[in-house]
Amino acid sequence: MSSKINGHVSPQPCPHLLDFRSRNGPKPFRALHDCIRVKPPGGCAAIRREPSEVPRCGTCEESSRSRLYACVACAAVFCHAPLLHSHASDHALSIPGHEIAVDVDRAELFCCARGDQVYDRDFDAAVVLAQTVNATATTSTSGSTAMQCSVAGSQPENLRKRRRVDYRPWEPDSGEHISRGNQSIPLLDATNASLVSSTQQPWGLRGLNNLGNTCFMNSILQALLHTPPLRNYFLGDRHNRYYCQQKNGAINGTKNSRLCLACDMDAIFSAVFSGDRTPYSPAKFLYSWWQHAAILASYEQQDAHEFFISMLEGIHEKVEKDKRKSQSPGGGDCCIAHRVFSGILRSDVMCMVCGFTSTTYDPCVDISLDLEPNQGGSGKSSSAKSLNSCNVEADCMHPNQNGGISTLNGCLERFTRAEKLGSDQKFFCQKCQVRQESLKQMSIRKLPLVSCFHVKRFEHSSIRKMSRKVDRFLQFPFSLDMAPYLSSSILRSRFGNRIFPFDGDEQDASNDLSTEFELFAVVTHSGRLDAGHYVTYLRLSNQWYKCDDAWITQVNESIVRAAQGYMMFYVQKVLYYKESENQGTS
Amino acid sequence: MSRPPPPPPPPPPTTNKDQQRQNPSLQEINIKLIQSGEKERLKELLRERLLECGWIDEMKALCRAFTRKKGRNNVTVDDLVHVISPKGRASIPDSVKAKLLQRIRAFLASTAD
Repeated sequence: MSSKINGHVSPQPCPHLLDFRSRNGPKPFRALHDCIRVKPPGGCAAIRREPSEVPRCGTCEESSRSRLYACVACAAVFCHAPLLHSHASDHALSIPGHEIAVDVDRAELFCCARGDQVYDRDFDAAVVLAQTVNATATTSTSGSTAMQCSVAGSQPENLRKRRRVDYRPWEPDSGEHISRGNQSIPLLDATNASLVSSTQQPWGLRGLNNLGNTCFMNSILQALLHTPPLRNYFLGDRHNRYYCQQKNGAINGTKNSRLCLACDMDAIFSAVFSGDRTPYSPAKFLYSWWQHAAILASYEQQDAHEFFISMLEGIHEKVEKDKRKSQSPGGGDCCIAHRVFSGILRSDVMCMVCGFTSTTYDPCVDISLDLEPNQGGSGKSSSAKSLNSCNVEADCMHPNQNGGISTLNGCLERFTRAEKLGSDQKFFCQKCQVRQESLKQMSIRKLPLVSCFHVKRFEHSSIRKMSRKVDRFLQFPFSLDMAPYLSSSILRSRFGNRIFPFDGDEQDASNDLSTEFELFAVVTHSGRLDAGHYVTYLRLSNQWYKCDDAWITQVNESIVRAAQGYMMFYVQKVLYYKESENQGTS
Repeated sequence: MSRPPPPPPPPPPTTNKDQQRQNPSLQEINIKLIQSGEKERLKELLRERLLECGWIDEMKALCRAFTRKKGRNNVTVDDLVHVISPKGRASIPDSVKAKLLQRIRAFLASTAD
């Protein structure tokens, strides 16, 4: 006859157990029942004569290293370590009838002669009963009367914490290995020796051919190709050019609808990150952009910054004409371009007569900064000094800090400085109901993911009908903290400790992201206004690379620091993966 | 198969109190752990951690594989213990060992006087 334990057919019953049962009456383990102790925290059952008993092997006094078994016949405790020695086995073999023992820490029956566990219905029932009693007695919150070991109520802190799983890196199994090999191109990794030896450059570096004064486009493209959120978006297939074009073609039958700058961007990303190192010609993209910005369509040199702005607009127009999404760029939900670059500027205009302040918010995709042409002057119409007595900040500071060198921080500080609007620019004060002289101050309400700073090096004066370029050197940091230029900081410094008349929603939108940024791309301009050249410096894996149209070379960071920055791209530090070693190089 | 005689039992705790304080023997530590209930807590912690990191599942898989090979009726608990002990001891994650050591040290420090 086969008996079942937990639904499984049990093995042959142990002869020693049968023998023991037959010789010791109907309840052979009765004495053990009193010794069953259920131990918190886990609710596991153990056998102890006294609750605080420390069992030891009767032969060798061992109490910690081996399992301990108590002979159910004579209650003597022995150790049992199958690999080393077993005094329990010695005992079992030396005295007949003493083969059955119980594991003192687990309350499980064991036949020491055969070295195997045995099961007795009555004994197990008694253990389970003891555990159940313990469980219901100790739990106050949980109503479960689990018939298992774990007790819900009296768990110590480390068990109440949410289960954490240790990280183990994923390794493909053999099936996945094969499917990987069949359908993928080799990546630049350490195992692929031929690719590694041929180039030391990191992933995604590829020269762009100049198609006729298109260095303005190439330089911006290089910067965008390595803008982390943008790169992740396109490489993550968030805008699939095959799917999108079909969609566009299906909705509007006209030819113009086939134009999608985002699709062309996607094509460039695929080409540049393909691993092919030969220079790429972004002709399709150029053509698409010409169609979008017809006015700039020529082979003349264009302004890189103008190109940047028009490109973002192009992506915004063509991507997601989804009515459900808000079309306002400030929210950043409209398209990837604005999601990455769009921030919000706050402008406060204060009437100098009555103090009434009018506040407006405007979205922006970049910040254009004035360069001081000479000492003492300012690109803005009138030099700025804050008139508010509480503003302890630098009103008397010389425009040039650091011993005469212009810095990016200096420009930002100037940008957010309170500025007196001249008498020819009187602002209409709502309280006074007349135009009054006013004080205007800019600040940043919401930081974008990527901050683009544009240095106004090209001055076009309509009065004198001439343009000139400002070559003045600007020092820019590799790490930038935008905290001092946030609205909260600016306003706090204006009003000091007093309660300031905030809008209710001034709880910084930028609180959820940090204010620290890392530089990753610099677009530089060299030469004259009418005959110049754009070059982009990219920072990858803490190395700097010069992207001069089709030529990409690794350069020392001192070269970058000395370059004439025209547009600087900073990304939120949390999105910037600063690797300490080069990928794929030995 | 005759085995060499077992190693001599560890010496009983000496009455010299200074030596006791400086070098508590394994037995003494064990007693302290058991009597304070800390050993049970440590065991529970260990169980939890080994479960989380999949060690228990690995051991189960080893046991299953061994049992399948030898046949269900030809396997004893001792055989299984014998088979998986070396691999089991070796594959305990360092983080788990470190955590337990830390707990034990903290416990000893808190009860030393």
